[in-house]
This record gives sequence, structure tokens and C-alpha cells, in this order.
Amino acid sequence: MLVVIPAHNEVESLAATVAELRALHAGIEVLIVDDGSDDGTAELVTQLGVPWLRFPVCLGVGTAMRAALRYAHHLGHEIVVRIDADGQHAPEDLSRLVEALGAGISAVVGSRYLAAGGFRASGSRRLVQRVLGRCLGWVVRRPVTDPTSGFWAFGPTAVRLLGEHHPTDYAEPELHLLLWRQGMTVREVPVTMRARGAGRSTLTWSRALTAVARAFLALIVAPLRTTAPVAEAETELEAR
Amino acid sequence: MTDLVQVVSIAVSLTLLAVVIELVRRRLLVEEYSLIWLVGASSLLLLACFREILHVVARWLNVRYPPSLLLLVILFFAFIGLMFFSVVVSSQRAQIRRLFEETALLAARLRALEAKQKAEVTAAHSDAADDERDRGPVH
Repeated sequence: MLVVIPAHNEVESLAATVAELRALHAGIEVLIVDDGSDDGTAELVTQLGVPWLRFPVCLGVGTAMRAALRYAHHLGHEIVVRIDADGQHAPEDLSRLVEALGAGISAVVGSRYLAAGGFRASGSRRLVQRVLGRCLGWVVRRPVTDPTSGFWAFGPTAVRLLGEHHPTDYAEPELHLLLWRQGMTVREVPVTMRARGAGRSTLTWSRALTAVARAFLALIVAPLRTTAPVAEAETELEAR
Repeated sequence: MTDLVQVVSIAVSLTLLAVVIELVRRRLLVEEYSLIWLVGASSLLLLACFREILHVVARWLNVRYPPSLLLLVILFFAFIGLMFFSVVVSSQRAQIRRLFEETALLAARLRALEAKQKAEVTAAHSDAADDERDRGPVH
């Protein structure tokens, strides 16, 4: 298993996140993807004693995850967990996500709205999430309570698929659509979201609006897309 | 269409053609992308030279003032061009992302390899030092 931490300008919280992960899960393998940070994250990453990837410019969390999943696949990791660098995701929930994998479940996503308590989004943001969640749920025919959650666990098939096809840009809603289009089952499990440890959310109002517009476009386009050739990738891998 | 309009239209189309060919000659524009401009400029030239075509098409489309049809043709090619280049930019964006990913992955593999090599060298050195110590009294 590999835990991937995509990080863009997270110098204040990254070290704590990694330390907390290691304290709770001894011997855990971690990969940090520094997504074009310019606040000292790049220097910090080299001192943490974990493997890392670095992009010279910010390419977005989707691209970071795609590279990380290819890295994981190359090293033979069958399960990959994505956890945010800002400390919003509680490492205690990690095992719950991983345990929910398997038995026909290709990916698991943590939803803060399935659990009682914890950090919730503010009014307007929550409204957007609700609308987006409803629409997504309607397309993928299962409830999506936290469409923008970045706390994910991927099983072997999803790792193989997403290493090549992880949606880029503001990727989480599109990820739901892609996995559904590929006929993969995604399960939501309750997690406790904490308030951001440090740093500022990269999601500003204008970005949020663009993201919503994109997500709705994806809602229209995703069902019309042809599926990615995972089967081919699989046979090729099995042949190796 | 008045003679002046025709002369100007022909001059503009010829200039456009010349500019495109010159850009390709200087390798500032690749052949693949110059095609759309060449086709556009040639059609413009064709319509400017042979007024009859313009008049026939204008009558067919119910356009009262045939030269305005030239404008429509220009708009059409501009629109197709914009669409085409949006596609080109999108695909290049995807390619650049891929390239960044691959270089990041290769850099990570290189770091791992270098670390492994360094560890092996250190181990070999300490082994050699141990051997030296063991053999010490014999010499």
C-alpha cells in the first residue's frame, strides 16, 4: 500500500501530516507529490525522508495523482490512498477506507457528511456541493454525499486505470464519473474532516465557479464518452 | 461588386497567401497548421477573381450585396481556424502534462538509483576496511 500526499504550497502542515501518518501507521509507505510549490514545500519535501515527485509548475491535483498512481503501479503497490497535505483528513480513518476496498469495490471515498460531527463546509459551498452531489448521484445511480472529497482509496484495477486516465484539473467529481463509466464500483464511507491545519484552501470563489461549470459539463459529456481501454492495459500487464 | 472592391480583395488575399508562404519558409509556421490558412486565402482569392461565383452564391443565399459574402467566407474560416487551434492547444496541454509527469517519475527513479548506488559504494568501502583490518597482523 502507498499513501500519496499531493501538496501545493503546504509548507506549514505537510511535516505534521507525514509525522501523524507515521505515528499512527508504523512502516507505512508515503509518496509526496510537490505540485509546483513556491513556498518552501520543495525544500521541506527533501528533508522528510520519504520519496517524492516534483512538478516545476502547478499542474493540479489530478495530474499529481496520475503520476503518483503510475509510480505506485511501477513499484507494485496494489492499493493507493490519497490524503490531503493540509491535515483535513484524519489518518485514523485511513484503515477504514482501505478495509472497505475489495469484494467488487474498486475505489472508496471518504465522506464527511455521512459521519456525525467534524468540519463542514460553509453555507454557499455546502449548497454547491449538495447540488453537485445530487446531479452526480443521479448520473452514477448511487448517492454521492461529498462530491469534492479528496480522501480516496484505490484498489488494483483503479490504480491501473487511473495511472493512465485520472482526470486532471479539479478532478474529484470527474473521478466519480470516470469510475462509473468504466463500470467500477465506488463506495462512500464516513470520515471525520478536520478544519485546515494551516495554509489556505486553493479553492477560491472564481475557481469554485469554474470547477462547478466544469463538473456540470463533465456530467453531460461523461456518459457520452467511450470507455478507456483498461481491459487492454490489464491483459498487457498480465502478459508481463 | 465594384472594381475597387475587387482589386482590394485580390490584393488582400494575395498578401495573406504571401505572408503564409513566407512564414512557412522561415519555419515560423509548420506546414500542418499553414494548410488551413492557405485554403482560406485561396478561396478568398478565387471568389475575388471570379465575381460570377460570388454573384451566383449570393443570389442562391439571398444576399443582396455580394461582397458581404466575402466577409462571411472570412468569418467562416476564422471560426474554423479558432476551433482548430483550440483543439491543438488542448492536445498540447495534455502532452505537456504527460511530459511533466514522466520527467518527475524519471527523476524519482534516478534519485532512488543514486541512493542505492551510494549505499552500495559505502557498504563496499566498509567491507574493504573490515578486510584490511582482518588482514592487518599478517602483513
